[in-house]
Amino acid sequence: MLFQARPNPFEDFLKIFGFWDHLLTGFITMLWLYGLAIVIGFFLGLLLAIVRQYGGKIFSRVATGYIEIVRGTPLLAQTLLLFYLPASLGVQITGWELEFDFILLGKDLTLTLFNHAILIGIITLGLNSAAYQAEYFRGAILSVGEGQITAAESLGMTRLSGIYHVVLPQALRRVIPSWSNEAAYLPKYTVVVYFIGVKELFREAFYIMTHPYIAVDPLAIYIVIAIIFLVMITLISKGLDILHKRTGIPGL
Amino acid sequence: MLELKNVWKSYEDLQVLKGISFKILEREVKVIFGPSGSGKSTLLRCINMLNPPDKGEIFLRGKNLNAPETDLNAIRSRIGMVFQHFNLFAHLKAIDNVSLGLRRVRGFSKEEARVKALETLERVKMTKWADNYPAQLSGGQQQRVGIARALAMEPDVILFDEPTSALDPELIGDVLQVMLDIAKSGTTMIVVTHEMGFARAVASEMIFLGEGAILEKGSPQHFFTSPKSERVKKFLEQLDILYGGHEKLLKHSNGEES
Repeated sequence: MLFQARPNPFEDFLKIFGFWDHLLTGFITMLWLYGLAIVIGFFLGLLLAIVRQYGGKIFSRVATGYIEIVRGTPLLAQTLLLFYLPASLGVQITGWELEFDFILLGKDLTLTLFNHAILIGIITLGLNSAAYQAEYFRGAILSVGEGQITAAESLGMTRLSGIYHVVLPQALRRVIPSWSNEAAYLPKYTVVVYFIGVKELFREAFYIMTHPYIAVDPLAIYIVIAIIFLVMITLISKGLDILHKRTGIPGL
Repeated sequence: MLELKNVWKSYEDLQVLKGISFKILEREVKVIFGPSGSGKSTLLRCINMLNPPDKGEIFLRGKNLNAPETDLNAIRSRIGMVFQHFNLFAHLKAIDNVSLGLRRVRGFSKEEARVKALETLERVKMTKWADNYPAQLSGGQQQRVGIARALAMEPDVILFDEPTSALDPELIGDVLQVMLDIAKSGTTMIVVTHEMGFARAVASEMIFLGEGAILEKGSPQHFFTSPKSERVKKFLEQLDILYGGHEKLLKHSNGEES
């Protein structure tokens, strides 16, 4: 069926667009997971990088251990582990949700912002992304050079103040090009929440594909999804590129 | 005002400083020189406690810096430092480089810090470039901003760590001129340098450091006319060749005895 010749391939796309409400809620769910996860990952990753670099022997090792464990284990395993962990510990966190029902262009849409699975998805993706982001931040901090914090300390600034006023403003500017890697990867990683039942894009695709009253070529659905990702990630990359240029230090 | 008593410092197995003691008085300019690896930079970093000594005492106005209860940040704000590679804050304009310490350490308001920073930039003749970023300045200009950054804090003493050795020869003059000016205005300075002209002009005492110990000290006059140890003589001869003693070098290359 996958590669079967069809009289009119556009018919498939038209059928898929008939399910725009599903694609839309799937897309928003994906964006929601991505947005929160990258923000959690940003702050936690920054903290990890600073602790690893300046935290002294013990804290530095703890941060390094966290980073290595997270990067060394599969994201899917982490997701499933965190998903089943509360129940296996006897903690009940199901039975609550944050949902919005609304009507758009004559269709009933239901958007779930929080439930057990989504919450776990956001936490897992955030914790996971933090480990990767931490290494980007650490690389940037290292590239700023020891001399900068030494100069800050020679003025009598505390180490923390030196990190905040001198190291981070430079490191965050420098990190943008490599950090854009993480910004481009993470949207695609959100697919793991499919396996704990979150209705993100791929689950909606599966729904459309297996709809009993309609036969759609799966190839067409995945092409649509690929294009959605491509457009979104191109925009993100472009945005980060502009940010990088705008925040550039004159003369450098 | 500042006194070192038997200061020792090692990095792992390497003993860098072996019992350094000296005293510097108010408004005095001390020049420290010696071969590379003799511990000159380490000595400066010990004095402002960026690398606290392993052993020994450093007194600043009667206060022991190497005592555990000493607030290192407060101490460092009273000891200025000028670096060989300038170490200007790359993301800040010249004026903000000078005002950062005033704002974050001295608690100046934005406006107070700006006025003071401009005043200090005037002293190093850099007012014109106040709004330039370090990468837009020449090495000599950067170093003058570096000096202003230390100067603005009104420290008790300023340490200079080979301030001109990373500069192109034609840029050294301006920096030395600024250093001469602030020395003459009564700033207490400890300068690690091989600029013997500078030493001759303002040093009250020169210290020759070799392998972590003070080999010889005395006035510039003493060093330029009658240094005692062979090691010092040899070193000064080398400098002489580097800094203008071309005739000697020519004689050497012609195989003549000097």
